[in-house]
Amino acid sequence: MLRTLQNYHRGMARQSYQLLVFFVGGRRLAVKAVDVSGIFQWAEPIPVAGQTPFVTSIVRQGQTVLPVFDLAASLRLTVQGSRPLCLRVKHPLGEMAMCIDEEIPILHTLDPAALQTYHGKDLPADGSYTNGLDEIPILSVSRLGATE
Amino acid sequence: MTGISLPASPSRFLIVLLGGRYLALDAESIQGVLTFEEVGSLDDPRIHGLVYRAINLAEQLGVSNNQGTANSRIVLFSERGAHGSIRVTRVQGLLELHPSQVLPLPSQFRGPERRWYQGMILFAKSIALVLNSSWVLDVQVASVEASGGEGGIPRLVAAQKISMNNSRIC
Repeated sequence: MLRTLQNYHRGMARQSYQLLVFFVGGRRLAVKAVDVSGIFQWAEPIPVAGQTPFVTSIVRQGQTVLPVFDLAASLRLTVQGSRPLCLRVKHPLGEMAMCIDEEIPILHTLDPAALQTYHGKDLPADGSYTNGLDEIPILSVSRLGATE
Repeated sequence: MTGISLPASPSRFLIVLLGGRYLALDAESIQGVLTFEEVGSLDDPRIHGLVYRAINLAEQLGVSNNQGTANSRIVLFSERGAHGSIRVTRVQGLLELHPSQVLPLPSQFRGPERRWYQGMILFAKSIALVLNSSWVLDVQVASVEASGGEGGIPRLVAAQKISMNNSRIC
């Protein structure tokens, strides 16, 4: 999707991407801001016995029930902090919640020229960018929970 | 003559607690709620000549269920001539809901659990998962067949409705 956007803007004034940078188990990750529908305090999830990998609970926010994607478990990490946050994202099958570190996420503007391919296999990514020595993957929300 | 669609009639659910999780059972399939004392020493309660084979739902759902408390109950249920009983930590009560109030299980759940649950109900400040009674009874049949015991084929006997004592239901 990002590549499509990049192509669309080819020959035009380059437009930057708005990313939300957040942390899971101390690891820095990014997600496109347009894929985020909210950030809340994490509420105790309700386990759902089942066999879908990393989708093993639901969380209630008022009258809304969201499935939880356990991003930390999928990365073999543990969420840090006593007051973790809930990142609510727009998945094609419906909104989903993810538990992230208590560290407040940051909005980051990325120049399209800085976008690179992410070669890691640990998570679905729409690319990555480099910050110092860190390569920060841009999470592909639409592919979360999809069978690889 | 123009067709007028009648509003869907409300459904009733028995809300139970099992290992710290709320589950909802279609009240239509509930035949009774008993205490351990009422069941006696029988593993499979026999009521009015019908055997309600015990189903270890906690094990099926991977839930740890500390049984044997004063609030624990045995729920008897029946569907399509098959009978089963489950031990629950507590019976919370009956809830009448419009069908639209039963939320579908989110599509992100893609495994066999889609057959285990028929939906979700907002209950208190939590959520009760609506159990698929047919699946629960199928589990019982499969379990009996696997153990080579008799009764693997559900008997096609009309279940005699056992009235629930309202005083036992909150």
